[in-house]
Amino acid sequence: MGGFEGILSGFQVAFSWEGIVFVFIGVLAGTFIGMLPGLGPISAIAVMIPISYGFDPTIALVMMAGVYYGAVFGGSTSSILLNAPGISGTVATAFDGHPMAIQGKAGKALAIAAISSFIGGTFGVILLMLFAPMLASVAIAFGPPEYFALMFLALTAIASLSEGSLVKALISGVLGFMFATVGIDSQTGTPRFTFGNANLLSGIEFLVIALGLFALAEVCFLIINSKKENKEIQQNIGSLKLSRSDFKEMKGPATRQSLLGFIIGVLPGAGATIASFIGYIFEKKLSKNPESFGKGSIKGLTAPETANNAATSGAFVPLLSLGIPGSGTTAVLLGALLVLGVQPGPLLFEEHPTLFWGVIASMYIGNVFLLILNLPLIPYIAKILLIPRPLLISLVITFCMIGVYAISFNTFDLYLLLLFGVIGFFMRLVHFPAPPFILSFILGGMIEQSLRQTLTISNGSLGIFLERPIAIIFLILAILTIVIPFFRKKPIEP
Amino acid sequence: MLKSLNRKIAILLWIIALAYLFFSFNLPAYPYVPVDSDVLPIILGILLFLLAAILFFMKDEVVDKKKVNITQSDLFRLLSVLFLIVIYVILLEIVGFLIITILFIFFCSYVLGYQKHIVNLLTSVLVPLTFYLLFTKLLQIKLPQGVLSFF
Repeated sequence: MGGFEGILSGFQVAFSWEGIVFVFIGVLAGTFIGMLPGLGPISAIAVMIPISYGFDPTIALVMMAGVYYGAVFGGSTSSILLNAPGISGTVATAFDGHPMAIQGKAGKALAIAAISSFIGGTFGVILLMLFAPMLASVAIAFGPPEYFALMFLALTAIASLSEGSLVKALISGVLGFMFATVGIDSQTGTPRFTFGNANLLSGIEFLVIALGLFALAEVCFLIINSKKENKEIQQNIGSLKLSRSDFKEMKGPATRQSLLGFIIGVLPGAGATIASFIGYIFEKKLSKNPESFGKGSIKGLTAPETANNAATSGAFVPLLSLGIPGSGTTAVLLGALLVLGVQPGPLLFEEHPTLFWGVIASMYIGNVFLLILNLPLIPYIAKILLIPRPLLISLVITFCMIGVYAISFNTFDLYLLLLFGVIGFFMRLVHFPAPPFILSFILGGMIEQSLRQTLTISNGSLGIFLERPIAIIFLILAILTIVIPFFRKKPIEP
Repeated sequence: MLKSLNRKIAILLWIIALAYLFFSFNLPAYPYVPVDSDVLPIILGILLFLLAAILFFMKDEVVDKKKVNITQSDLFRLLSVLFLIVIYVILLEIVGFLIITILFIFFCSYVLGYQKHIVNLLTSVLVPLTFYLLFTKLLQIKLPQGVLSFF
């Protein structure tokens, strides 16, 4: 199928009634879950996965991608109204968004956040449309050595860019990898670490880990904080109208951060969170009156909101064109695709152009829906923040358990879910980041396979990596991402 | 010596690494492949061991401002919820999805201190019912019927 026909068929799916309905469901669910403080986009996607079983893979990905960027879009609402960011990607939004809300300009702040998100998101999708096919055409020449090196780079990059200590992030990654080795080894047929338990032969279901490590662990923290958190919600949102001078002020950061955010999103390891912080710092440095930042600056609100949404689109570039996720969230999306029987990668563009373009095309629609949801309807949607915590907690736990049971029909996996919930809770308690864990769990099997293919080609000699220039570059970059932070005394602070 | 949190975690990780390595070395060998099933696990075990060693000698970060202090009542609520989850899992296939989920949502919210019993009851009946119908009728996924097998 020619390039243009592919684009056309993608748009056809995205604009079919099914495509429109499910992108709407996705962004709506994403907005809700993103708004709830404590639940992040990974939990949001993981909770939606069971619902997508039996769907056409294109529609499923359209919906789950909607959940992802919807969560990043919607996360800003609680940052502004509650000063309690719904997700980590909107922490920087609270810096200037919440002061504006305190000044009685909550409506204006919400409007700026929604419009910036829309600009960042839409601009990001345009760039995604241009770059993903380009990268896919380069990646088609990649063999197992390049893939091994690239995945290795993704793992080291996410560890080095994670919050907190690098050593802890690396340990988290190694632990995730260890859980990936459980089950029958695909090449030799040897059962590994199953301890005679038949339920473990096929390995641990990735959904169990995603829901346990993220959703359930986040719920544990909600339980602990449920009594303390008595923050007042700004009931009076005020006018949503923006003046011409407001737009003028937004113009600069919105253009710059659309591009910068997108680039950061494409890079392995970095995502919406890092993009939003870098965007904020960047605009503060550039500003003529940096002292206004943190006190309700329009620029300070526009920058992170544009950057995090642009980064979300950017994160789809490696996922769709290489089949390699660069972040925890896209790793969960990859896991969801694998469950549906789709293997993303450079061939996806050739073999499933409808899926490739359908998802991208749906993002335009999704961003328009989000703008509508987040502008005129936001006062009503923000009411979800009033749901009593105890009910919310019980419902999220129930969703997790139904989700796991619906794929395995097996109570053993529910115990595993509980186990990973407890592991995730303790990891968070002692500041071990969870995204490296899930990324290396999902990439683990693929890394082992590509290493085996590489060494089978070379008859067991590691020298093959030296003969492949692209692989060498990736490996050197991977080593640099680990070595450099060791020499950097202080971590970057916002 | 074990006062530092990092040291306690490091020792736990060492135990995990050693146990993992023990089982890795005992994996049966398969002669015709360049990378046998034990190669990667052994590398991972050694990596974890070394990383734990670095952690052992690392100073605990100063995270006072972010420190989560868990009170006794928090812990009690957390453990009660975990206990309810275990009961849920044990009874799910015996009692059936609908009844056990209704009971779970109601009691879980109750344990967490929700006082509006009528709202609670409505939510805990309507949500599982919606899910049950959604899964069994629309998505064709069977959920355990349990004692309501005629339904």
